[in-house]
Amino acid sequence: MTTQERQPILKVENLSVTLPKGSDRPFAVNNVSFNLSPGEILCVVGESGSGKSVLSSALMGAVPEGLKVAGGHVLLEGKDLTRLSEKAFRAIRGRDIAMIFQEPMASLNPAMTVAAQIEEVFLLHSDFDARERAKRARDLVVAMRLPNPDRILKSFPHQLSGGQCQRVVIAMALAMSPRVLIADEPTTALDVTTQAQVLKLIGELRDVHGHGIVFITHDFGVVADIADRVAVMKHGEIVEIGEAKQVLTAPQHPYTQALIAAVPSLDPHDRPTAPEAEPVLAVRGLHHSYGALAVLKDIDLSLAPGRVVSIVGESGCGKSTLAKAMIRLIDARGGRVEVAGTDLRVLPAKKLEKYRRTIQMIFQDPFGSLNPRRRVGPMIARAARLAGASSAEARRRTEELLDLVGLHKSAYWRKPSAFSGGQRQRIGIARALAMQPDVLIADESVSALDVSVQAQVLALLRDLQERLQLAIVFITHDLRVAAQISDEIVVMQKGEIVERGTAAKVLQQPSHPYTRTLLEAAPGRSTF
Amino acid sequence: MRKFFLPYLSSPITVVGGLLSLGWLLIALLAPVLAPYDPIKTLMPLAKPGALNPAGGTFWLGTDMLGRDILSRLIYGARTVVVFATLATLTAYLVGVVLGLIAGYRGGRLDAVLSYFANVVLSFPVLVLYIVIIVVIGSSPFNIILAVTFGSAPAIFRIVRGITIDVASRDYVAAAITQGESAWRIMLFDILPNASGPLAVDFCLRLGYTAITIGTLGFLGLGLPPPTPDWGTMVNEGRGMAIAFPHLVIFPCLAISSLMLGLSLLADGLREVSDAQGRRA
Amino acid sequence: MTLILFIVRKLGGAAAAMLTVSFLVYMALEVNVEDVAVKVLGQFSTDAQRAAWLTANGYDDPFLIRYGRWLWSFVSGNWGESTYYRAPVIDLVPDRLAASGLLAGGALLVMVPVGLFAGLLAGMRPGSLIDRAVSLLSIVTTSIPDFASAVFLSAVFVFWLNWLPGASTMLSGFSFSEMVLPVLVLAFYSTGYLARVTRASMVEVMGTHYVRTARLKGASPARIVWRHALRNALITPVTVIMLQLPWLLSGVIVVEVFYAYKGFGTLLYDAALNSDIRLVEACAMVSVLVVVATQILSDIAYGWLNPRVSLLEAAMGSK
Repeated sequence: MTTQERQPILKVENLSVTLPKGSDRPFAVNNVSFNLSPGEILCVVGESGSGKSVLSSALMGAVPEGLKVAGGHVLLEGKDLTRLSEKAFRAIRGRDIAMIFQEPMASLNPAMTVAAQIEEVFLLHSDFDARERAKRARDLVVAMRLPNPDRILKSFPHQLSGGQCQRVVIAMALAMSPRVLIADEPTTALDVTTQAQVLKLIGELRDVHGHGIVFITHDFGVVADIADRVAVMKHGEIVEIGEAKQVLTAPQHPYTQALIAAVPSLDPHDRPTAPEAEPVLAVRGLHHSYGALAVLKDIDLSLAPGRVVSIVGESGCGKSTLAKAMIRLIDARGGRVEVAGTDLRVLPAKKLEKYRRTIQMIFQDPFGSLNPRRRVGPMIARAARLAGASSAEARRRTEELLDLVGLHKSAYWRKPSAFSGGQRQRIGIARALAMQPDVLIADESVSALDVSVQAQVLALLRDLQERLQLAIVFITHDLRVAAQISDEIVVMQKGEIVERGTAAKVLQQPSHPYTRTLLEAAPGRSTF
Repeated sequence: MRKFFLPYLSSPITVVGGLLSLGWLLIALLAPVLAPYDPIKTLMPLAKPGALNPAGGTFWLGTDMLGRDILSRLIYGARTVVVFATLATLTAYLVGVVLGLIAGYRGGRLDAVLSYFANVVLSFPVLVLYIVIIVVIGSSPFNIILAVTFGSAPAIFRIVRGITIDVASRDYVAAAITQGESAWRIMLFDILPNASGPLAVDFCLRLGYTAITIGTLGFLGLGLPPPTPDWGTMVNEGRGMAIAFPHLVIFPCLAISSLMLGLSLLADGLREVSDAQGRRA
Repeated sequence: MTLILFIVRKLGGAAAAMLTVSFLVYMALEVNVEDVAVKVLGQFSTDAQRAAWLTANGYDDPFLIRYGRWLWSFVSGNWGESTYYRAPVIDLVPDRLAASGLLAGGALLVMVPVGLFAGLLAGMRPGSLIDRAVSLLSIVTTSIPDFASAVFLSAVFVFWLNWLPGASTMLSGFSFSEMVLPVLVLAFYSTGYLARVTRASMVEVMGTHYVRTARLKGASPARIVWRHALRNALITPVTVIMLQLPWLLSGVIVVEVFYAYKGFGTLLYDAALNSDIRLVEACAMVSVLVVVATQILSDIAYGWLNPRVSLLEAAMGSK
């Protein structure tokens, strides 16, 4: 590369953004500096609340209501964006610096066609006539490798898939060939195979077109796949910045080290061998459909006490429906779900209430799974009461469980709003265990958590599982998480089980092509 | 307690609304103490506001054509409104909440039937419905409560049903189901408390609209039978002579408007606080 | 094609609703035969007269048969005689309905532009001075009952300023000045309500991701409002305007009674006061018909504004 090319196109110097008064800290972004060269991807990594998204909006000159850029400079090819008037900035946005967002579907206007939305960029920043605008919009859609471009152009966003919407958003961002692209978690809402395709596309933008890209993400796997350089953010500050290889393999800052250590490995975790036993959960020929659409086809599954089986697949594969059918939150069309020898699927409603105890669930959303109006202790104690404990016993068991999941005694009389996401997940685990179930279903139970919290909750689950010899069905979209906890892995696609086997076998010698696709798409495979 | 009220006190609009509503409630409760005269006794016909009573005292708001003191009638009228509007709204709520919870949580055929009837009733313009009902069963205090219940319960039913369907889709309800909690406990302890914010807002507004309905029926001469002091009836009796004696109608109109305004502002404040709490949770 | 299917299905639903309503109305008013005779023949008729009349008019038949007969004659345009006006009901209704339509049309003419404009202006910048003013004003106008705003407006324009007539009897033919007050009173409440709904909708839309996208494309605030926010923000208010029509029908009764305006409202009111049951039945059916028709219109408007809702889906009732 020539020295000309190595000139940074974007220089951020001591940028600070203040939070409104009364927030938990004064700055959302504190004294941040970095450079970005053409043809370079800089990944900004951090957990929720690290200020990475505020940073991206500050670069675009559009910080959320209540926040303020308090100091520092953003130099785009030497021009200081922080000093521009709103009107002057408008001419630059979308032309010299453009943005891609986390929620592709929500980022597109539901009442405008794709063509109109892409052409609008030309309307705003060029003097092309209508024909030229239409032609260029079509070229962009073709360049994004969207199938059937003419249909896509005429479509409204709700008629497209998430991945297609994200390509449209990228097309819009690229319309004026901006020098700098800001991508804010652009693949977080996408399935892993779609994510892999979009990441490939973004990589090409760098290699072929030489865009400078600031890529905001929380996922170290994605970082490993795509970054040239990495900046790690914590509490609004950059704690470490450097070449990707350097940061990922030999992190200097303790926070970076902790984050990277928390990334779950794709290598199966060592599992103690459980004694041979009769299965406590036996699913036979379970099937279900919504109208004509079969969502579960002839599912067989069995699980012995003290064993963990993971059910892995992408969104829409039927894994959540399977969980709900097993625990009878929905009534499946046919098949058997035997828990401890009783077929739950055919029990009449009144009788079912008594057998509910035997199979319990830990939910995905830590903010939706606890009733905000009930205090934590009584909530868990109620579960124990329903399992048949006396009220004194329930109280005692609740206190033991709070201690077991690592919460302080004082949690008893608090409401869920007083706890963080990770703590709420612990409360959810305690509530499920209070019923002393034979089978536990964990439905994406760690997916909504930051990576360091995720590691802690996973460790807790593993510890409890071994100590209490629990039988766990672990539903997840994340092969890495599955690798950390399972004895067995089951892969689902379109309502069917396409592969099953021990964790080691499925992860290391997959036999079904779909399993191989999933494994290849798992971000950061070469590094972690 | 302080912590509970604090968010509401920070908005002046809510405070004004609360004070107005509370003021009318106090006036209703203390009517016998506050009213200077007997509200149904003939004293001196068509006195202008501020006129002196020959027997001593002042008619601050004047008297009506039958010579009754308007201020006293307003004060006792507050009693009528507070009692009947509250009773009617409460019975409507009882019916609407119970059916709405069951229909929203159970779904299925029961829900379909209830929703269909609610929609049929709601497709009557409200006043047409009340007029038809009053024509059929006549106007008495009990019948007015009955008519209002029949007219508003379907709207409450729809709101409660909507919220119930929303809340019932949350994971904490799924958790309660998987624990083997009974349906009525889930409705009462998991769903209803989490619906209380929007329902409190709706209750304030509906209380006001019930007061307006009773007033409007009074205005149309279909309200409570005379000589019950009732704001709407006062307007009805006075409007023939309103051009010459505007005080006959202006004051009762101000009374009912200020009561409704108080309740609207209160509802607005409640909505803001409940939205803010919703965002935090 | 979809539109036809949609309308057919909607009309089917409307017909079912009308049928239920007709049954309820007929049952409420005519299940008690003695009452009917008293209402038709008056308080001072003798028992023998009533019995003779009942027999002559087929009231000895079972209820369901009477209902069927009544329904059939209603559908075929024979709505009976009004005992109060001493004229066929079917001749009374259309003129009065048109007169009320004029009032409602006038109210819409005021309410739609003012309400939408104020709401959009307020919702563009939540928390601004305009927003707070519009919000407070709309709370005030929605808090005043129709009869009270009639009193207040009349006090100002009739009693105090002496600009407008205090009654709208139109005895000497159509008079524009007599229309002004009834229209204003009718629009008073709805304008505030529409402004409120529009504001809330606009605030929501201005906070969406796609409005942010438009801003980050470099679109100007004016373009964001006109091109991106407006159409999406109008979906709710337009539905509300349609659903306001039945509400106007309630207001029409109060306003017409207050101003002695000869419209549908006073027709129903006089019918009710005079126990003119044939007329009450007809008026109730007509008002429900108006409501059901506006509901269909509002569904069509909703589907037209919102490309996410296909009319076919709406027709299948999965909205």
